[in-house]
Amino acid sequence: MRDVARDPAALELLRVQRSRLADRMRLPWWYLAGYAILWALVFAGPFSSRYLPQGVPTWPIFAAAAAVACLMQWGLTRATGIKLPFRNLRYRPGRPVGIAILVVFLAASEAEFLLIRRDLIVAAIVVAALAVAAEMALLQAALRVTRRELRGGGGAA
Amino acid sequence: MTAKPDPLIHPITRLSICGLLAAGADWVEFAALRDAAGISDSVLSKQSRVLEDAGYVQVRKGAVGRRPRTWFRLTAEGRQAVEGHLAWLAQLEEAVSASTRDAQQARPLLGDRDQLRRVLPPLLGSS
Repeated sequence: MRDVARDPAALELLRVQRSRLADRMRLPWWYLAGYAILWALVFAGPFSSRYLPQGVPTWPIFAAAAAVACLMQWGLTRATGIKLPFRNLRYRPGRPVGIAILVVFLAASEAEFLLIRRDLIVAAIVVAALAVAAEMALLQAALRVTRRELRGGGGAA
Repeated sequence: MTAKPDPLIHPITRLSICGLLAAGADWVEFAALRDAAGISDSVLSKQSRVLEDAGYVQVRKGAVGRRPRTWFRLTAEGRQAVEGHLAWLAQLEEAVSASTRDAQQARPLLGDRDQLRRVLPPLLGSS
């Protein structure tokens, strides 16, 4: 069974194959567009306090956003043929990106609320646009982490 | 995790299937696995059946419209076996590269005859 000359070549072949699998992990245009719209809706949330009648709760927006995100994740799984496990902040390689997504979300939302309260609407819109751009950049960063994991073999060598 | 060879995973096709499933994905679809491994449908079907019978791979069959879709994932037992086998292969790779490095370092000394002619006579005590 032991074939010292050929076994390392098998390992090299596996690296090539994993690279091929990682290359399948590309985000389709509709996924990127969907997430851009989703984040735009999320960052439009603070404006609702000014332009919508009082008493409109924000949680339905977040519930709808979460439902659409789940639907897009399902679509991505079907398109790529790769279903990734659920990751939270305990997943070390993706932790910096996850924290950055949260920080951008909280900071931008808070900044929007403050700017809207001071009637700086244009500035609030600029902050919202920048936050959407930042979240999309972080989505690409998360994809790079996933690809690196698939290429490197995750926990296995 | 102990580095040890697994005869069931050792054939290259099964190693490819298991190695790809252990790459970090939860489930991998038939076509994705086939394309990444560079094997035919029939080979993947046959080898995945062997791995499924051994309890290394879990298979989930479904359909999207009329198209059948098959998904694969490693079981806990399969993951343990793959990781052990890959660790064993990595050890082999390290051993082979170390021996190649030693051989390359030794070759210039033996290959340079002029240098040997200059160095050897004084050492041997000849004039």
